[in-house]
Amino acid sequence: MDKKRLLKDLDLPLLLCLFLIMALGFINLWSASAASGYPFHIKQLQWYLIGTGFMCAVCSFDYRKLSNYSGYIYAITILLLIIVMVAGKKVSGSQRWISLGFFNLQPSEPAKLLMVIVISSFLAREDKEQFGLTDLIKPSLLVFIPFILIFKQPDLGTGLLILIIFASLVYFVRLKWSTFVTIFAFLLCAIPLAWKIMKPYQRKRIEIFLNPEADPFGGGWHVIQSKIAVGSGGLYGKGFMQGTQAQLNFLPEVHTDFAFSIWSEEWGFVGAVILISIYFLFLLRCLNIAQNTRDKFGSYLVFGITAMIFWQVVINTFMVLGLLPVVGIPLPLISYGGSSVITTLLGTGLILNVKLRRSLFQGS
Amino acid sequence: MKKSEDKKNNSKIKVFGTKIRLKRFDYKELDQRLRLVTYARLFLFLCFLLICTRLWYLQILKGNQFKALSEKNSIKYIRLQPYRGNILDCSGRLIAGVEPSFNIGIVLKDVKNVEWLIERLAPLLQLSPTDIRMKLVASKNQPSYLPIIVRRDATWEELSKVEARLFELPGVVVEVAPSRQYPFGPVAPHLLGYLGEVSLEQLRQKKFANSRPGDLVGKSGIELRHQEELSGISGYKMIEIDARGRLVKVLKIKKPQPGKDIQLSLNLDIQLAAEEALSDKVGAVVALDPRNGKILAMASSPKFDPKIFARGVTKDEWKELNNPLLTPLVNKAIQGQYSPGSTFKIVMASAGLNEHVISPSSTFFCNGSFKLGRRRFRCWKKGGHGQTNLYKALVQSCDVYFYNIGLKLGVDRISKYAKGFGLGEKTGIDIKGEKSGLVPTRKWKLRRFKEPWQKGETVNYSIGQGFLLVTPIQLARLISAVANGGKLFRPEYLLNTEPNLQGIVPVKSWILRTIIPALKGVISDKHGTARKCRIEGLEIAGKTGTAQVIKQKKRREDEKMAWRYKDHALFVAFAPVKNPKIAVAVVIEHGGHGGSAAAPVARAVIDRWFKLQMPKPSTIIEQTAQKEKAKVHG
Repeated sequence: MDKKRLLKDLDLPLLLCLFLIMALGFINLWSASAASGYPFHIKQLQWYLIGTGFMCAVCSFDYRKLSNYSGYIYAITILLLIIVMVAGKKVSGSQRWISLGFFNLQPSEPAKLLMVIVISSFLAREDKEQFGLTDLIKPSLLVFIPFILIFKQPDLGTGLLILIIFASLVYFVRLKWSTFVTIFAFLLCAIPLAWKIMKPYQRKRIEIFLNPEADPFGGGWHVIQSKIAVGSGGLYGKGFMQGTQAQLNFLPEVHTDFAFSIWSEEWGFVGAVILISIYFLFLLRCLNIAQNTRDKFGSYLVFGITAMIFWQVVINTFMVLGLLPVVGIPLPLISYGGSSVITTLLGTGLILNVKLRRSLFQGS
Repeated sequence: MKKSEDKKNNSKIKVFGTKIRLKRFDYKELDQRLRLVTYARLFLFLCFLLICTRLWYLQILKGNQFKALSEKNSIKYIRLQPYRGNILDCSGRLIAGVEPSFNIGIVLKDVKNVEWLIERLAPLLQLSPTDIRMKLVASKNQPSYLPIIVRRDATWEELSKVEARLFELPGVVVEVAPSRQYPFGPVAPHLLGYLGEVSLEQLRQKKFANSRPGDLVGKSGIELRHQEELSGISGYKMIEIDARGRLVKVLKIKKPQPGKDIQLSLNLDIQLAAEEALSDKVGAVVALDPRNGKILAMASSPKFDPKIFARGVTKDEWKELNNPLLTPLVNKAIQGQYSPGSTFKIVMASAGLNEHVISPSSTFFCNGSFKLGRRRFRCWKKGGHGQTNLYKALVQSCDVYFYNIGLKLGVDRISKYAKGFGLGEKTGIDIKGEKSGLVPTRKWKLRRFKEPWQKGETVNYSIGQGFLLVTPIQLARLISAVANGGKLFRPEYLLNTEPNLQGIVPVKSWILRTIIPALKGVISDKHGTARKCRIEGLEIAGKTGTAQVIKQKKRREDEKMAWRYKDHALFVAFAPVKNPKIAVAVVIEHGGHGGSAAAPVARAVIDRWFKLQMPKPSTIIEQTAQKEKAKVHG
């Protein structure tokens, strides 16, 4: 094992983007903490450090071993989700957290990453040129169980996210056109059914998204205030800790789901575009790795993790900008939350790992 | 050729000692993947563009507009809570009203050191620091300029302690808020229900659409059932604040709309009489107007103070409220299920007559016990009642007489009549938690115990023992039906609703007329079992009941027997016998004999009603004055 060669393959631009995002996230939470009076930024810094530690640890072994353990990984995922269902902590009506004393673990966060590993491994082993409808039954079942468990928490956002990540992976392994059309038609038919299953508050959120002014003091508040916050930022923003929307508590949950909103308010169009650009540079680097890896499992793994981060960024920013209904999806590394930060950093670690083992693979 | 390529692509290698299967992309696949990744890049770029365009639209194009909005956002809305509707008795007297009370809260924005403040504040309010911390955590999502209430309905002592130290405790505020007050003390708390902070589950329901976290809402009884009418509609105060969040001026006030008042059919005098009579006992009283099923009084004992739920129940209070023997939280009037004992003989007598098993004049001989096969069933009177007819059997509550009827009728026919008198199903009173009681049948026994029905069980059944279970409100409806000629009304607690006739008792009307004189005898006859219920000047009809709690080999009249093994005492009655206007059912848990424990309670209730019927002293004076005048003129 040539350590020098390994280090040469370390993706420095990717790491640079990653640390830049964390730095901006820290600054942003500092401001959000001033608004809420709780030192979220300090705690987040701890998560950054712990997460980076995990990231290094993940790089140190060969990712290809993971494929062998995918059965265990799947079992652990389901187990965690069942534990949270049985013994989880209830916060505002949702049972999403397992209390570990020093830390409340939100298993649906690591579940996203674990499911990417499981599905990538499964699809790589199937090894088909093109996937038809029948080939999708097994992996769909694999995804469906954690989806239902998360959906029941209830956490519609994360549940759907897992489905979307799965869809992205299926796209990447190539689908027959006929299958693609069938699935699309089926989804169109399923929408009214989904509307029926949804809980009243989830339905209300969608109704409010379509017409936020209908309930300005209730659920519409988030969307309206977030748009005001972003819009009032203007070109250069109101300045660090000067955002009135966030600092005067017009914006709820500035430290979690609406973190991008306070960033846009205080740093303006320029700041917002810079942050988004860094994200997209990061994601493009990841796609490069997915493209250049010869190992199928590695390639799928990288693509899946990229999809995971990508969709979170898109859904969260769309939500903050009033382009999507309010769903509880955090902005990776910017929103406060230990489970999310560590999951994202673990995922990045796996991507780096794949890149590191590229040359090794070619050599064998 | 292909096979060899496959081999090349899917080789097994050893990495760090672990075998790993490898699947490489072949060249065709590599090409395809390049295309797929390119599409993905394109999609990524599109999303990036969309976000930037949206940012451009919001921040540059509409930037000034939103800036103006954010500056205008120095305007805040503060919700103003409406006054909750009053609950009145039938003559408009206030049972539950609203008065200002004082809440102590913390405005987090003004607090420098939360822990320090909590340590200081907790002892003043007799709360533990964790209690306060829990409350702060629960309201984490609310804006920090709004006070988080840590003590509702503070006592004067707490208030003065806090007020005196207010300047040492920055961030602590005292605010005035409407809270439920009970001018006559806690009256019928089980029926009225209590208020508590709205739960997250409730917030999702349509019924609580107007509520926000921290609001007090109905949690049980009428307060819960009529939450929507009682709660009213909240208003708001529009205020302007400066950049530091301080109040500049009040811009606009939209007054909250107070909730609607609810007038009950409950008569406060009768209710208080019932509660007073029950005060040292465990049990329930229900008084109905037999003409329409309106509830005149509904009491369950021990009662509780509904105010403690709004304030927050302490550990000791909670322990007391959940006492398994006394069950103060249970509304025994609709949730208590008891064997009816001899009160069931009313049903048995009616059934016997209607099925021609007996006639009003048929007699049985009672020598103190009854033999069925090898088993002996005792009559409560050791020596027996001798030659007994229906009148005597009801007045003296002879068990043997009804054993005979019971065996002639059989379990199925008894159950048919029990159901006909409204037992075994909910009366339909419009509050949550009513129990249905139980009318056993052969089928039920087989299903429940996998055993056939025994004849001996029929014997027990015919004196209201065994599996049969009734609730006090069912008993009250039953005796009402006897009083009003057989009509079963749904018990109603609202004054201004139409009577709701649910059914007619399935016996011919002459039968009830035959039984009533015997029921009158229960109170007025010198051998009657409920002579303690006599009221001078009023004819009352009734029936006592004594329900065994445990099986006793010999009937013990032991005063020393543990309280919880003593018999339940029951009594049902109505008055006046001609033209009945009040029907009462009383159950005293472990009270002993129906005649000695339950009848006096019913007497107190009926007596209060009777006194209300008498002309008031003032009117008597007026009347005599008028007579005097007439004399003078004459």
